[in-house]
Formats: sequence, C-alpha cells, structure tokens
Amino acid sequence: MKLSDEEEFERRLRSENDMSVLSEIRLIRKGDDGYPPCFLNYPRMPGSIYVLGRLPDPSVKTVAIVGARNCTSYGRNQAEYFGRTFAQHGIQVISGMAYGIDSWGQKGALDGGGKVWSVLGTGVDVCYPRQNYPLYRRIIREGGGIISEYPPGTLPDAWHFPIRNRIISALSDVVLVVEARLKSGSLITADYAMEQGKSIYAVPGRNGDTTSEGCNRLIAQGAGIAWAPEAILEELGFDCSEACAARFEAAETEQKKPSGQRKKKKNTVTSPEADLLPEPVIADDGHRSAAGRKLPGKWAHCDDFQKLYRHLSDTPKTLDTLQEESGLDLPSLTSVVMQLCISGYAAEAAPGFYVKIPG
Amino acid sequence: MFCSVLSAAISGTEILPVSVEVDVSTGMPGLTMVGFVSSQVREAQERVRTAIRNLGLSLPPRRITINLSPGDIRKDGTRFDLPIAAAVLEAMGAIPKHVFSDTLLLGELHLDGTTGEVPGVLPGVICARDMGCRLCIVPSGNLVEALAVQGIRSVGIRSLQDLIAVSRGEIPVQPSVPGSLPGEQGVSGGADFSDIHGQKTVKRAAQIAAAGFHNLLLSGPPGSGKSMTARRIPTIMPPLTPEESLEISKIYSIVGLLPEGTALLHTRPFRAPHHTITPASLLGGGTSPRPGEITLAHRGVLFLDELPEMNPATLEMLRQPLEDRRITISRTGGTCTFPASFILVGAMNPCPCGWYPNRNRCTCSPKQIMSYRSRISQALLDRMDLRCEVPATEYGALTGGKQDEVSSEILREGVIRAAEAQKDRYEGLPFIFNSELGPSDIPRFCQLTGEASRLMEAAFHRFLMSARSYHHTLKTARTIADIEGASLICEAHISEALCYRSTDPDIEFSVQAGVADRQDADNAEKRRGYRKKSYAKKKEKMKS
Repeated sequence: MKLSDEEEFERRLRSENDMSVLSEIRLIRKGDDGYPPCFLNYPRMPGSIYVLGRLPDPSVKTVAIVGARNCTSYGRNQAEYFGRTFAQHGIQVISGMAYGIDSWGQKGALDGGGKVWSVLGTGVDVCYPRQNYPLYRRIIREGGGIISEYPPGTLPDAWHFPIRNRIISALSDVVLVVEARLKSGSLITADYAMEQGKSIYAVPGRNGDTTSEGCNRLIAQGAGIAWAPEAILEELGFDCSEACAARFEAAETEQKKPSGQRKKKKNTVTSPEADLLPEPVIADDGHRSAAGRKLPGKWAHCDDFQKLYRHLSDTPKTLDTLQEESGLDLPSLTSVVMQLCISGYAAEAAPGFYVKIPG
Repeated sequence: MFCSVLSAAISGTEILPVSVEVDVSTGMPGLTMVGFVSSQVREAQERVRTAIRNLGLSLPPRRITINLSPGDIRKDGTRFDLPIAAAVLEAMGAIPKHVFSDTLLLGELHLDGTTGEVPGVLPGVICARDMGCRLCIVPSGNLVEALAVQGIRSVGIRSLQDLIAVSRGEIPVQPSVPGSLPGEQGVSGGADFSDIHGQKTVKRAAQIAAAGFHNLLLSGPPGSGKSMTARRIPTIMPPLTPEESLEISKIYSIVGLLPEGTALLHTRPFRAPHHTITPASLLGGGTSPRPGEITLAHRGVLFLDELPEMNPATLEMLRQPLEDRRITISRTGGTCTFPASFILVGAMNPCPCGWYPNRNRCTCSPKQIMSYRSRISQALLDRMDLRCEVPATEYGALTGGKQDEVSSEILREGVIRAAEAQKDRYEGLPFIFNSELGPSDIPRFCQLTGEASRLMEAAFHRFLMSARSYHHTLKTARTIADIEGASLICEAHISEALCYRSTDPDIEFSVQAGVADRQDADNAEKRRGYRKKSYAKKKEKMKS
C-alpha cells in the first residue's frame, strides 16, 4: 500500500494518465490539502480519512441518496431516476453502497454520466456487500471514489455503519431519503444532516407501505417533499422552470384524455362490489402525472400502447393483472410489454412483475 | 446329456438374450451353476430342485451343470428360474427333446412349482420376436404384457405342470392381441385445468411447455397453485404415439412399475420425487445401473417441487441430461445409456418466506433472497425455457364459476395443433419437438419476420442474453407460433417467449453493473464531455 499526498496524486493522475494510481489508497489527515473543508465545520468528524480514487469536489453541488436496503421496485426506480437526473445536471452523488436504494441511486448516477462517491463502514479496500463489487470498480473508474474513516482491511462491523452516515451527510448539500421504514439507518443519516444543518428531502410513499413510513414521517417533521428531482434541483439553485412547466403541460393534456376512457371503464365494470373498491385507474393516473412521462411519438397514437401504459404503475403487476385491467389479449399484451421493457419505459420489478420506469 | 433353452437378461434398459445350458452327466451327484450369476440367480437352484421334486419327479443322482451364456454379462433377478427348470426337465427327459427350441422362457418359480411374475417381460418378448423366436412362455401373471407384442405367440403358465402340458401341445397358444395400442389419451384421475382459478398466464405457459416439450419453472407464494398446475400438464400433452408408448412401457416393465394387468402405458408419465432425492435415484445408478426418475419421466413430466430445497449438487446434475436428453451411467456393473427426454417442471417460492416482491408481507433480507435464489444456478435457469410467476389467487377469481375457466380441453386443442405442425416439419428427422432442436437446426426451422428479428436483436442487447438464452427463446417462439398456426415467427411470438424468460433486477444488478462497467468505461469520458457542454449551454441561457 502506498500513501501519497493529494497534490502528488493529482499531478500523477494528470501527467501519467495512469489508471493504476486509482488503486492506491491515500491517507488524508486534518490539515492536509485534500482534507474536505466541510469537515472542519462539524463536531465529531474523523481526523483522517482513507480514500481510493478521488475526493468529491467541494465547489460542486453534492446530493446524498440514502434509503432502505430492503427496497421495493418503486424505491428502486425512484432512486435510479433521481440519481440519473442529478448526474445529468452535474451534481455529485454520495451514498453508502449498501444493497437497495444506495446502490440503485449510485447506479443511476453512473448511468447518467455523473461522478459518485461511496462512504463505507469497512476499509476502502473491502467491498461490502461483496455483490456490489462491479459497482465499486465502476465508481472508481468513472472518476468518483471510495471513502472510509477506517483503516484498510477493516471488516464490516454493525456499529461502523450508523457512524459513517455522518460523513455522508457532511459531504453533501442535500440528503435525499428515498425509502425508509420507521426504524431505519437512513433516518440516522437524516438526524446527522439535521444536526449539520443540511436540507433533507424525502420521497413520499403511500400510507400503509411500511417501506415508506420513515420517509412520510420525515416529511411530517419538516423535510422537503421530493415530488420530482426538480424540487431538489431548485433548492440547489438550478433553474427548473422549463422542466416544471413541461410536467404541468403533460399532466394537463393527460387529464383531458382519460376522462372519457374513465367513463368507459366504469361502464364495463359489472360486479356491484367493484364500485365500493377504490378505483385503481385514478390512483394510476396520479402516479403518471407525478412521473410525468409520456410515450414517444411512434407509440403515442397506438391504442394498445396507450391502454397498457395507463395501467402500468409503480406497483408491480403481473401479466394476469395487466391483462384484466387493460383488456388486451395475451399476445398483444406481451408484445407491448416487451417493447416498453426494451425501450426502458417499463421494467420487470421482480420476475413476472412489471412496473413503469419514471424518466 | 446336454440341452439348452433361451432366456433374456436385463442390462440397464436393454435386453440381452441368454441361453440357459444344462448338462447332466456322470460324476459326483450335485448341482453347480456358472455364468456370472448374482446370488439371486444362484438361489434358483434351490427353488428349481424343490419345485421339480414337488412335481413328483426326482432329480437324477448325477452331476448337473448349469451355465448361463454369454458368461461375461451379469445376470440378476429371478427370471431364470423357469428356463433353468425347463432345461433341467428336458435334460432329464421329462420334456420331449428340442420342443423348446425357438422359444423364450421367463419366470420365477415357487417351491410348489407355481410361477411368479417377473419384470421385463414386454421388452423380453420384443427381443424374442426380433430374434425370430416363435413362442414365448411367461408366467400367467405376465401374459397380458406378452400378448401386447405383435408378431409372436405367447403362452402363460401357472405352474410347472402347465409347462409340461405346453410341451405336449395340451395348452393352446394364444396369438398377440391386436389393437391394444393407445388410442385416446387417458386423463389422470379427472384432474383438469379448469380446477385452477384465474392464472391465465400460467395456463398459457403450461400449454406452451406441453406443446413443445419446454422446461417450465413456476415461482410463486405458497398456496398459489404451482403443484396443481404441474400435475395437470400431462392432461394437455399430445397423445402418446404407439412408438412412444412402447418405448416407455419397456422401461416401466424393466423396473417393474407397469400397473398390474396393463401391457402398455397410455398416459404420459408424471414423476414427482421428493426434494430429498439422491443423485442415484434421480439420474439412475447402482452397481449394475438402474434407471432413475429422469428416465422414468421419459416422454412425460418430471416435477420437482421446492426446487431450492433440493441438494444443489443433485440439481446441477440435471444439466447434462437436460441438454442431451439421455444419460450415460458408468458403474462397476457396466455402462448404460438411459433415455431421458422429459419436461422438467420446477416449482419454487420466490424467497424463503414466499411473499417477495410484496415488501409489506415479505420479511426476507436482500441477502436471504439472493442466497435462496442462487441455489439454482444460472446455467440451470438458462435451460428453463419458460419461467412463470404464479401470483396469489384473488378472491374474485376463487369464487368465480368453474365453467369460465380455461379447461384442459381448450388448452389441448392448441397443443395438438402444435404437435401436428411439428410432426410435419420434422418428418424423417431425429427429433419430435421444438425443444429438441440443436443450434444448427434453428436457422432452418425458426425463421423470423423482419420485425421479429429486429425485436430479438434489441432484446438480446437489452437483457444481456447468452447464446443459449437466445436459442431457447427462438425455440419457445417457434412453439408459440405453432400453437397459433403460423409458419413464420412474428413479433408477438418473440415477445411472448421473452416474457417467460423473466429476470430479477436485484440478482441481475451486479451483472448489469459489471457489463455496464466494461461498456461504459469507454463511453464515460465521452458522455461526461457531452454533459458539460449541455450544462454550459443551459448556464448561458440562464444568464441571458
């Protein structure tokens, strides 16, 4: 293991364009050049950190995406979508590289061409969980880095993880919690963020979804509502008026259309109990305007695509359910579903369950 | 005084003719038996000696030597009792000389001289016919089986007395019974697909599996109807052809599993071994190899419930027979090749508690789910052409009438249409079903329309498919097209086939990230440059 200082590292990186320097672990102490200046503002920050790859640029806006390991497809898609959007606006994304929300948020940011950092509860050379090794490699290779306060070789220990969350929140300008249960490690990050005076945003969930209870409670306590990436982009000083206007426009045109179809749908319902049940169509429309995604032109006027897309939502649905709701026959249903999946408008949340992808 | 009669030994699922030679000559009185015989066969001498004594005859006080030839094949079981007794009686002069030339004898003897049933009569009689024998003598209990073989006469005897009577021409010999070959497919125990409420996609997948002999993996929460579906698949499979019926009946006869009083199986086998099954009983084994469950499921269904609970090593052993459709087993007793062309139907829960992806009910951690699923390797998953989710049934579907449900009859129509299309297409070729196509046959038989091939290409890149996945998808699409009666594979067929090759994003995550890692390493810089440019443009706009 070679330890070299920040200046030397940057120089070598620029002059040699040598990727091997990326596998060198650097120790950065308080007072060194690269030591994150934000650490000086908060209590209980580590005196020295180990870094693999680079450190985040303090002059660039940074968002932390954290959430449940045990996430739903809704959380997964939201994390990926927010991560990707942030990356497309040049925002740095920080997370803990745990299963679930953390890694999906980071993957989204990488797919959007952004730089990503992971703060680990292990040594920077220990990839935990091991399944995320491809992600770990990609983070370093694409200009981000792995940060830890623990010396190289440290193995995972349960008490390491809540503590490292203070570094995640300290390095970021905004902390976004995508999915969290009432007792969740992500809420610890939110607590640190509150202490450090950072803005906190939470992606809202439905009442009754245990995976979103923590987020909803954060909102009740005053966290910002991450109804769309624009909410956070505006907070960070980006001009999103255009994007917001486009969203409203899309929602308006959508609202005009389905009214007729909704009536039609009602007429087709034959069983008397169906009226007592909450109507799923309306709920789905709600999701749609929130996601604000329209089908591309080639499919926008195709009846089958419209019928099916209306019934796809964040709730994973089986082909059986989709068939019942859309009324399409199996061959046309599968061909529409597959084409939407291939072009990234829908995806399989779990084998056999399909969801809509926000974008 | 020397004489010999014909009998048959079993080696694996093959029948080998054995000649039973007896020599009665001067020397120390006694009975010796040679010819690589097992202890079961050696015990025959006691049964034969006593049975003959109880017939009222006594063995001559001379040296009797019995040889089972060829001497290098191991002989097992009790089927040599009757031929040995016949040869001894002939050598003693109790039976006219040469009366049993061109005759095959099989059967066990009791001490009182009555005969007992033995396995392997059906293939034994077929072997006799092919060797040009004119008569088969079998225990009366096995007569039905023997009569099913066309082109040879058979006689069933109750005891050694009957044997002597046959030798004197006192018992009429019956010709084979024509028309005992399978006609209508029997439905097993009245089970029908209409018993299953809802689950349209699952029924469709079962139909495709039955039509093209594709392997099917059913995954779903407990109590959603996975086992019910699997058990009903034989009811919609194409009817057995006479050749297939004979083929599987021979195997069942050899292992002694033919139902009593039946000669030929008319329904396709359905085997559902418990998940604690050992490799030897699954694949076949033993010192002299015996067929295992996969061979007993030949031309039918092998249903493995609770797939992840099975010993992973045992499960992975299925890979090679799934590909080759037969299995070769080498043991000290010899090397045998057993046929094993079956539909593998697997059932599993999506996670240890069974409720994933319903996160409000599922209590499993991602790691638990991953380790549960990784008990089934990707290699085996690739071989499952149809992976189908069986969702928990909704109340509305449960209370609906049975007459609304898709029944076996409706499903079978499509299956038979596909079976006929396949029969026409593969006339004179060594395979019957689409799933048996090799990679080299695929371009010839699985022709795609332009749209379909564009879709397939897009899917290949999007879902990071392997070459095997690609081929299996095409084969499944071919079957779907056959069910629909189409000669070319269209877009809809491909997309439906793709729907049954579902992937789990959580499991695929690392794979996706890894591939992206390789691909994106080159593009990353490029994209970052583009992003900076567009961001700079936006900034300018903001300023102005």
